[in-house]
Amino acid sequence: MADQSSILQQIDAALDGLVADWNIYTTIFAGIIAAFVVYSVSSSQDPDVHPFLLARQSTGSPIRQKGESATYRSLETPHGFPLRLGLNVKDTGAPKWTAGRRGDLRDIWKAALRGSLNPDGTVAGEQGKIYTVLGKQAIEHSLSQVTQELNVIGRHLQKSEVKTVAICLTDSVELLTAIFAGAFYGFKTIIVPHNLPAETLSAHLQHAQADALIAEAGSLDLSLVTKENKQLSLVLWVAKYGNRHMDWHEVPEGVKGDLNVSVWHELVEEQKDLTSLTVPEYDPNTPPPGLSTVWPSSSQAGEFIDFQSDNLVSAIAALNSALPRTQRFSPSDLVLSIDSLARSYPLLQVMNALFCNASVALNSVAGEKVDFALATMGVSPTVIIASSRTMSDYHDRVMKPHTGPISSLGRWVQSRTLEAGNMPSKNIFSQLARIGPTAELSLDKLRLLCISHRADGDASARLSSEQLTDLRVYTGARVVYALTGPGIAGAIAQTNVFDYRCLTGPSHFGSPLSSIEVTLTGMSEANVSDSIPEGQIAVSGPAVVSSKTTLSSRGRISNDNTLELSS
Amino acid sequence: MATEGTTPQAEVMSIASPINLILLSLFVVLLYWHFRPKPAVVLPRGPAPVVFRTYTPKTLLEFNGEGDRPVFLAVRGRVFDVTPGKNFYGPGGPYENFAGRDASRGLAHQSFDEEMLTKDLSAPLDDLKDLDADQLENLQSWEERFSEKYLVVGKLVAEGDPEAPAS
Repeated sequence: MADQSSILQQIDAALDGLVADWNIYTTIFAGIIAAFVVYSVSSSQDPDVHPFLLARQSTGSPIRQKGESATYRSLETPHGFPLRLGLNVKDTGAPKWTAGRRGDLRDIWKAALRGSLNPDGTVAGEQGKIYTVLGKQAIEHSLSQVTQELNVIGRHLQKSEVKTVAICLTDSVELLTAIFAGAFYGFKTIIVPHNLPAETLSAHLQHAQADALIAEAGSLDLSLVTKENKQLSLVLWVAKYGNRHMDWHEVPEGVKGDLNVSVWHELVEEQKDLTSLTVPEYDPNTPPPGLSTVWPSSSQAGEFIDFQSDNLVSAIAALNSALPRTQRFSPSDLVLSIDSLARSYPLLQVMNALFCNASVALNSVAGEKVDFALATMGVSPTVIIASSRTMSDYHDRVMKPHTGPISSLGRWVQSRTLEAGNMPSKNIFSQLARIGPTAELSLDKLRLLCISHRADGDASARLSSEQLTDLRVYTGARVVYALTGPGIAGAIAQTNVFDYRCLTGPSHFGSPLSSIEVTLTGMSEANVSDSIPEGQIAVSGPAVVSSKTTLSSRGRISNDNTLELSS
Repeated sequence: MATEGTTPQAEVMSIASPINLILLSLFVVLLYWHFRPKPAVVLPRGPAPVVFRTYTPKTLLEFNGEGDRPVFLAVRGRVFDVTPGKNFYGPGGPYENFAGRDASRGLAHQSFDEEMLTKDLSAPLDDLKDLDADQLENLQSWEERFSEKYLVVGKLVAEGDPEAPAS
């Protein structure tokens, strides 16, 4: 007893002695510790997505064929369930419990015209807008105005009984109008990249047997094209705002008579009053004609990809559902595409935006390799669709060299938040981080960056995990990074928008979209048992032309079940 | 008294007093705990996928569930892995005759007897041509139930079929 009390007394005395040393420094230290604890508790929050969802992002089938890996699917569409087929369009008046239709491009335009929906499904009617960005200014088009043009152009082409229309335009509202006119008025559209030499264009028209051509006035030599394309019966020029006063009706020698040449804005002027502001009635059970794009392959000619309507809607629906509900396109968004609409990923993301009643901005300089700062100048978008080439160029040329010590400090703090699974909010550190790297940008409202990479594209354009983190920190926007391939509408795979993990090396591409499934083929049975299967990427599903295709590139499924390209 | 008054004063204002050192080390520990590198979340990989195989009646026979072996049975050329239902289809279960065999005829007849099985393992597969509509419907519903519950791990072909694996 005495012994115990003496120990207690000793402790008491020791504590007494300790506290007796309390002084001003001690108070300061205690204050710092208290402040740090308060900060550390108050700043900690749940990550945006449960870490387990990032640790296994797709499901592999329990059975595999010999020489192949298991088949991997998005978590949205598990094995044994159908892949995502379409937009699930519910017609007004249809019973509430019926399954929706797959839909087609016409339903997308109709949804855009109908306007936004309230959360309870009633129509709020707020329409999106379409902007054409020309340098620093943006021209606004209302959807009813575009519908009018759509009707004029559609009727003009229908009257001339053309079946296949080649569209060779820069990204513009006319390009979108022509695509939708094709869906409503029943002609097949072929989107030809606009900057091709006349010989290549001529060969494309020949190959597609196009009987009509929509092109920019003055951009190509008609005599050369018509010489090799006897089937061509109609040419529709789209004149830029600056040169509308000129006479574009001139027809080259030798083809006069059987070639119908007209100018877009004149047609619209003439017939505007005769057409309605609503789209024509259509039978939803007969699918509209398809849409073709040219996949740039290593050979000059490129490869024609004939998408059917069902491929397109399945891909659009999958691109939409790949984003979590809070991150999807909404009527308050302005989606800017700085990647060419001749490529299926940007085109279908724009369609997705229209279907979600978001506003869309199109840039005439858009393409695979553009200057990110210049292309985003005219408007203040909330979502940007760009190619991996554009982003990696901008990162290498501007962001990296302009990262000074202050930016690095800001980046370090922000990337810690990202590592913890949260998107950093705008604060002093985000301002610090952006001092150098993005000083020339004016992207205050930007919230999402959709980047696509071609599977057969230049390996130097592939973005690394580190670069994606840089983009998140410096632009303050979330990033999705998608892999595209020839013959696959939309994308093969796309990263989870909440996946902020900074891994080493080139970034993975997330899980397959819900419209397709991925199998790796051509594996030797000896390596099959490896934990990371590697082989040629074979893609099948409703978004794939002729439902199955095998890419020339090899890929692997890494430990978190994400798709990677093997270099 | 005067000396006593001044010296403790100097000691009190010292920054290196024990309590300050304790607080400082506490702060360092907190800092480390806050900034320590956190290991990435890794989920264990699921079981490796089963390879789809082509079986003949002879090679299928060994998958009858004896010992630790899985239980397979074939319905109209599709081989189902019914190991999760080993109590029924495995040794000692009511359907044990079907384990490792072509069960199509037995299921169609709703009979678990030995004579429902094709005795000669080298013979061509049972073509089931003599079944009536009721029996075919029976078989169909069994097949649907199997497809819902169990995995198709292979297909069954007759001995000597061009697709049969060389033994």
